[in-house]
Amino acid sequence: MTITLTEAGKDASKLAVNGALTIYEAASAKAALLEALTKTRELEIDLSGVDEIDSAGVQLLILLKREAVKAGKHMRLAQHSAASLEVLDRYQLASYFGDPVVLSPDA
Amino acid sequence: MSMEAAQQTFIAESRELLVNMEAALLTLEKTPHDTDAVNAVFRAAHTIKGSGGVFGFDALVEFTHVMENVLDDIRAGRVKVDADLIALLLACGDHVSLLLDCLSVKDSAAAFAAAQPESHELQAQLNCYLENEAAGLPQVHDDLAHDADVQRIGGGDTVESDAWHISVRFGHNVLRHGMDPLSFIRYLATLGEIQSIFTLFDGMPDAAAMDPESCYLGIEIDFVGAVDKATIEGAFEYVRDDSAIRILPPHSKVADYVNLINDLPEDKTMLGDLLMASGVLTRNELDEVLRLQQRLDEETNADNPDPLAHTQRIGDILINQGMVQSELVNAAIGKQDQIKQHKVLEASNIRVHAGKLDELINLVGELVIVSASVGLSAKRAGNIDLLEAASTLRRLVEEVRDSALNLRMVPIGETFNRFQRVVRDLGRELGKDVELVLSGIETELDKTMVEKINDPLMHLVRNALDHGIESPQQRAQSGKSPRGQLRLNAYHETGSIVIEVADDGGGLHRDKILARAIERGLATADQPLSDQDVYQFILEAGFSTAQTITNVSGRGIGMDVVKRNIEALRGTINIESEAGIGTTIVLRLPLTLAIIDGFLVGVGKSAYVVPLEMVFECIELSQQDRLRVRESGYINLRGEVLPLLRLRDVFETKGEPSKRENIVVVQYAGMQAGFVVDALMGEYQTVIKPLGKLFEKLSGISGSTILGTGEVALILDVPALVQKAVGSETSKDRPALEHRMLERR
Amino acid sequence: MTKKLIMVIDDSASLRQVVSIALKTAGFDVLEAADGKDALGKLDGRKIHLMICDVNMPVMDGITFVTEAKKLPGYRFVPIIMLTTESRESRKQEGQDAGAKAWVVKPFRPEQMLQAVTKLILP
Repeated sequence: MTITLTEAGKDASKLAVNGALTIYEAASAKAALLEALTKTRELEIDLSGVDEIDSAGVQLLILLKREAVKAGKHMRLAQHSAASLEVLDRYQLASYFGDPVVLSPDA
Repeated sequence: MSMEAAQQTFIAESRELLVNMEAALLTLEKTPHDTDAVNAVFRAAHTIKGSGGVFGFDALVEFTHVMENVLDDIRAGRVKVDADLIALLLACGDHVSLLLDCLSVKDSAAAFAAAQPESHELQAQLNCYLENEAAGLPQVHDDLAHDADVQRIGGGDTVESDAWHISVRFGHNVLRHGMDPLSFIRYLATLGEIQSIFTLFDGMPDAAAMDPESCYLGIEIDFVGAVDKATIEGAFEYVRDDSAIRILPPHSKVADYVNLINDLPEDKTMLGDLLMASGVLTRNELDEVLRLQQRLDEETNADNPDPLAHTQRIGDILINQGMVQSELVNAAIGKQDQIKQHKVLEASNIRVHAGKLDELINLVGELVIVSASVGLSAKRAGNIDLLEAASTLRRLVEEVRDSALNLRMVPIGETFNRFQRVVRDLGRELGKDVELVLSGIETELDKTMVEKINDPLMHLVRNALDHGIESPQQRAQSGKSPRGQLRLNAYHETGSIVIEVADDGGGLHRDKILARAIERGLATADQPLSDQDVYQFILEAGFSTAQTITNVSGRGIGMDVVKRNIEALRGTINIESEAGIGTTIVLRLPLTLAIIDGFLVGVGKSAYVVPLEMVFECIELSQQDRLRVRESGYINLRGEVLPLLRLRDVFETKGEPSKRENIVVVQYAGMQAGFVVDALMGEYQTVIKPLGKLFEKLSGISGSTILGTGEVALILDVPALVQKAVGSETSKDRPALEHRMLERR
Repeated sequence: MTKKLIMVIDDSASLRQVVSIALKTAGFDVLEAADGKDALGKLDGRKIHLMICDVNMPVMDGITFVTEAKKLPGYRFVPIIMLTTESRESRKQEGQDAGAKAWVVKPFRPEQMLQAVTKLILP
C-alpha cells in the first residue's frame, strides 16, 4: 500500500491511497494520514486506487474525519473505488463523511 | 476430484487406521500403560468419526462416537485397560470394518440394517464403561444472556415494527482475530433484508490512544427475514464471546426497548432518536419509551440513591456471571495439557493410484521394446555415434525400468503383521499357545503380488496352527516347551522372493501320507519317492490325513488351492519336515511380474526367452556330447550330472537341428539343468505380455514378449522345465546314471 | 477477479477432499495441507483469506500451527476456523487463546462448513 501526496498545499492537499487499506496496513497508514492532516487545512483522500479495504481501514477514515472536525479542518473522500464504496455502503457511512459520491471508473 | 473418489479415499484411509488400531490394541494387551498405543487407538476412532461425518455416514459416526468416548476416558485415566476391554475394542474394530464393507455393497441400507443388532450390542457393552463416571457436565450456555429476555420493566404494549432489531458492540480484539464486522453484515444480508443500519464509534479514543488494530465499532441493525432468533445469533456466533450482542425480535415490547437503551453505553437520547430514525420505533412508541425510562430512573433512584447502581448494566452483570460460569466449567472439565505429541515416523510418502502406476509401467515396457529396436537398427547401420547413443539409451531405459518397478515394491512386513491378530485369535480358539516370530520383514515384493499371496499364506498359517502345532499338554509330554512357535520368514534369492512358513510342531507323517496317496491312487507302493515327493501329495485336492476335521481346516480343500494360487504367480512350493520337530513350507515367487531381463535363444525359426537371472552359463554342445545326449539325456559337466532338455523336442519344432547346438545351463531352487538350443542370441530386456486364456495351460511357457524386430518370442517357464528335466531323471535313471558316472572316472 | 484462497489443514485426506469440493463449488480456491508443519511449508507468502484447521494432527497439531502462523507478518490477522470434537478434551480454550475464535465441531456436514465459512468471508 502506498499513500502519496498528489497535491500539497497549506490550504488544500490531495492524498492518494493505493493498494490495500486493511488491518495489515493500518498501523503505518494511520501515521501517514494523520501527518498529512496536520500539514493542511483541507484534505481530500482519493480512494480510486483502494482495491481492498476492511473495518480497520474504515476506522482510520473515521478517525481522520473526526480529527479534522475537532481541528476545525475539512476532510473529504473522493473517487471512491468499488471496494471502498461497498464497505462505506454496508456501514451506511456516506452521510457521516458528507461527500457527494462520485464513482471512480472501476466502480 | 469427485465425491466418489473422495469416498474411496475415505474407505482406504479408514482401513489403514483400523490396521493401526488393531496393532495398537495388541500392543496395549502386553503393555497396558503405553500412551502412544492409547493415542493411536483414539486417533483411529476419532479420525474415522470426523471424516465419516463429513460424508454423512451416520451409522459409522454414531458407533465410533461411543468408542471415542470410552477411548477418551482411557486417555484421561478414568478407565483402566484390562483384557476384557481390549477384547471388546478389538471386536469394535472388526465391527467398524464391517460397517465400511456396508458402504461398498449395492444395497447399502439393507447391509447397515443387518449390522444394527451387533452395533447396539457393542455400544451397550461400551456404555458400561461410561456409566461409572460422574454425571454429565453442565452445558456451556450459548447466550451470555444480554438479550431482551431480561426485563426490568414488565408488561406493556408491543411495538408495531415487524423487524428484528440487532445491536452489537464489537469487542476490541475482533479484528485481530480475523473477525471483521463487515463479514457478519454481509452474511446477514444473505439471510434477509437489512432495512437500516447505524454504525457507531463513540468508543473510539482520541488519535494518540487509538489503536489501529483494535475495533471500536458498534452497529444497530433493523433486519427483516424469515429467520428465527437462533439463526441471527448464529450469524454473530464467532464474536459472541468478545462482543455485546442484543437481539430484539419483531413486535417486542416497548419495555424491551427501554431496557435496551439502558443497557447500551451511548447517550440515551441519541439512542432513542436512532431507533426512531431506523423505523423500529414510531414517534409515539419512542415517547412511550422515554416516559418509561424516566419512571425507571425515578424508581431506581428512590430505592438506591447511589447513581452508579442505576447505571450498572444488566449486561455487565451477566457478562461477569458468564465468565464465572465458564471458569467453573473449565475447572470441572479438569483441563490439563496432557496431550503429547506422539512420535510419528516422518516417512515422506505420497499416495499413488495403483492404476496410474500400472500405466507408467506399461509405458516403460513399451519404452524398453523401442529401445531394443533402436539398438538393433543402430547395429545394422553400423554408425559409431548412433551405436553409442543407443547404448546410452538402453542403459538409461534400464534405470527407468528398475525405478518404475521399484515403485511397486513394498516390504512384506505389512502382510506379515496382519497375522499377529490371526495367530492370537486362532490360538485362543484352538486352545493352543502360539508365538508368532517374524523375520525378513523388510524384504520387498511387488504390490500386486502382496494381495495374491495373502490367502495362501493365511491357509498355511491356519494349517500350521491347527495340525502342525500340538496342544500345550501334548508338547509338554514330548518334552517341548508348551508354547509353540510359528515363524514367518522372507528373503531374496537370485530373482525370486522366498517366503517360509515354519512351525515347531509334530511334523508330517511320511508313512501316513504315502499310505493315503496309495489309497487315492496317486502313487504305487513300489514307486521310488523322495521325502519331498511324498510331502507334495498333501497339495493334492481332497487330500487330508487329519483325524478330526475342525472348523478351521482339515477338509482338505485348502492346500490344492494354495498350490494353484502359487503356481498362478509362477511360483513353487517346497515342503520340508521332520517328524516331531516341525514343518517348513517354502514358497518361491518371482520378484516381478512385469518386465524381465532375458536371454534370447533360437530353436529352428522360433525365438525363446530365458529369464536372465536363472541363466548360469552357456556352453557349446560338442560333437561328442551330441551323440551322447541323444542317448541318455544328460551330460557330464565338470563331474556333475547335468540333465538336459532338447527344446526342439519339448516344443516339437520342425526341421533339422542346426549344425551347431548350444546348451543354456539354468539353475532354479538349487537344481541345475541344460536346455539344448540352436542359437544363442544374447541378452534382451523384454516386457512380459501374459498369455491369452487359450495358451495359459501350455506347460513350459510362462508368457510372451515382442522383440525389437517385432517378432513374438515365448518366455520359458524355467522352474517347470527344470523340474521336468530333473524329474524324469530322478524317477527312472538315477541309479543307472550314477553307476555310469563312476565308470567314467 | 481472482478467487479467495482458503487453506484446509487436516490429516484425513478424505475430509480435506470433501471440504475442498464444497468450497470450490462455492467459488473459492483451496490449498490443502496434512498437518501444521506441512501447512507452514506451503504458505509461501500467499494471500490466504481463511484457514480451516484441525486440532488433532500428527507432526504439528492445530494449536501449535495457529500460534506459529500468527507470528508471521502476512498472517497475523487471518481468520481461522478450528475443527474439533465435542469430547471434553476439546482444547477449545487453548485455541481461543492462540487466536482461533471460530469453531466447527466434528462430525460436520459440508453444508455446515460452508455456512461457517460464509459467516467470515464470501466468495
